Amino acid sequence: MDNELLPLLQLCDSNFPSGAFSHSFGLETYIQEQVIVDKESLKTAISAFVDNQLVFSDGLACRLSCEILESSRGMNELLEIDRLLYVSSLAMETREGNRRIGERMAKLCMELYSSTTLGEYLHFIKNKQGYGHSALVFAFVAHHLQMDKEKVLSAYLFSSVSSLIQNAVRGVPLGQTDGQKLLVEMQAKIHEAKNRIMKLTKEDLGAVSPGLEIAQMRHERLSVRLFMS
Amino acid sequence: MSYTGVLDLFASKKNDKTIISSCYYHGALKITRPIYLEEHSPSIYLIHVGGGYVNGDSYFTQIQVDDSAHLLVTTQSSTKVYKTPTEPVRQQTKIKLGFGSVLEYIPDSLIAYEDARFIQETEVEMERDSCFFYSDIITPGWAKDGSFFKYEWIRSKLRIYRDGQLVLFDHLFLEPDHQMNGIMQMEGSTHIGTFILIHEQVNKKFLDKLYSHLIGNFPDVHLGLSGLPDQGGILRLLANHSGIMEAVIAEAQTFSRRVLLNKESVLWRK
Repeated sequence: MDNELLPLLQLCDSNFPSGAFSHSFGLETYIQEQVIVDKESLKTAISAFVDNQLVFSDGLACRLSCEILESSRGMNELLEIDRLLYVSSLAMETREGNRRIGERMAKLCMELYSSTTLGEYLHFIKNKQGYGHSALVFAFVAHHLQMDKEKVLSAYLFSSVSSLIQNAVRGVPLGQTDGQKLLVEMQAKIHEAKNRIMKLTKEDLGAVSPGLEIAQMRHERLSVRLFMS
Repeated sequence: MSYTGVLDLFASKKNDKTIISSCYYHGALKITRPIYLEEHSPSIYLIHVGGGYVNGDSYFTQIQVDDSAHLLVTTQSSTKVYKTPTEPVRQQTKIKLGFGSVLEYIPDSLIAYEDARFIQETEVEMERDSCFFYSDIITPGWAKDGSFFKYEWIRSKLRIYRDGQLVLFDHLFLEPDHQMNGIMQMEGSTHIGTFILIHEQVNKKFLDKLYSHLIGNFPDVHLGLSGLPDQGGILRLLANHSGIMEAVIAEAQTFSRRVLLNKESVLWRK
């Protein structure tokens, strides 16, 4: 049995009930404001999302968490990353969305790939000393199954991109084939993002993109919404 | 470490009035005498003695506001960062707010010119019942060829601790490249502005009112407003002129003063 491939496929499966299905993380604002109208404009937007949000926050946090676990540096440093992710997310819906997805994934993964460290994380979340973020949950599962860090990172980026594209396909709307084509076109971008993340440091964590943040904030005030963020 | 400029000031309450009970400055930073635009709370204008920040400059500012005191801090003019061929400019600010104190920290804009690299790190420690208003405007200076965005990069980190817990980490890293003007980044604007308010009475209802008020006054400005994890709010805006940024932030400050502090608008003379 390939002990890396199958669990990763499961975690990245769009049917994995993390709740990501309900969040556009600001993309819906761009759809309503007619900035994202077709496959090409969606591609530009998703690329920018990868280059900024995923590289500097989610992706870098996942890599740093993997490294903390590898060197057994302990829960305090992980909780610090968890908190930084939470307090650097300045739009309320996005912050809460990430927290809910993270908590849900942590609970579910505790059932599927239970480990002491994940159990500890979940305990901190329940006691309100932690918030929950998918980047950390990925790292816990990956470490537990002794997966290769860079593969995990690529898989994590892929799952984020894939769920964003699927949601945008529903939101714009676009054809399913266009959505899948776009996912293929994003492969190079995901690879490039992973390489960039490997070169960053903790000092880079949480750097935000002002336009995206404003879109995430404005989402709260859209009158008709398909998504929770 | 020796700094290009150091400023350390302490404001405390004496009878009904807030006074500057100690102030130390050295090098390129200094302040004006406190001006009482309001009877009980002084305004301080920060001054840079030279023409602007240059290569390798480092600045340290500490502002402490004692229990129940109320201080207003602004700058006399915009802060200019010129080219930094070998070392970026660093500006470190530490702010400490005592129980029941208020600090309104509203500096003029930061202008980064061609080839400038600038690091700004601000750390704020406050109590649950203290109140903090903060603004920040970052703009690119004109380059010789008339274009914008010729600075190399700006990194700005703001950390706010309330009751010892980190409640906000605002990390802006602006590095002009071919995507800088694109979607999710500056989206065609040159200026980025921020207004943050933390006060026990900030909740969703207050933020909704503030939002309606701002949108009513500035229907065309591209802005977002959202709630922070714990009794706070953040306003972020993109525009092409400092004037409009300053006007929106002044309006947000005035509204917050009126509703949260029961005070009138403040008219700084510059």
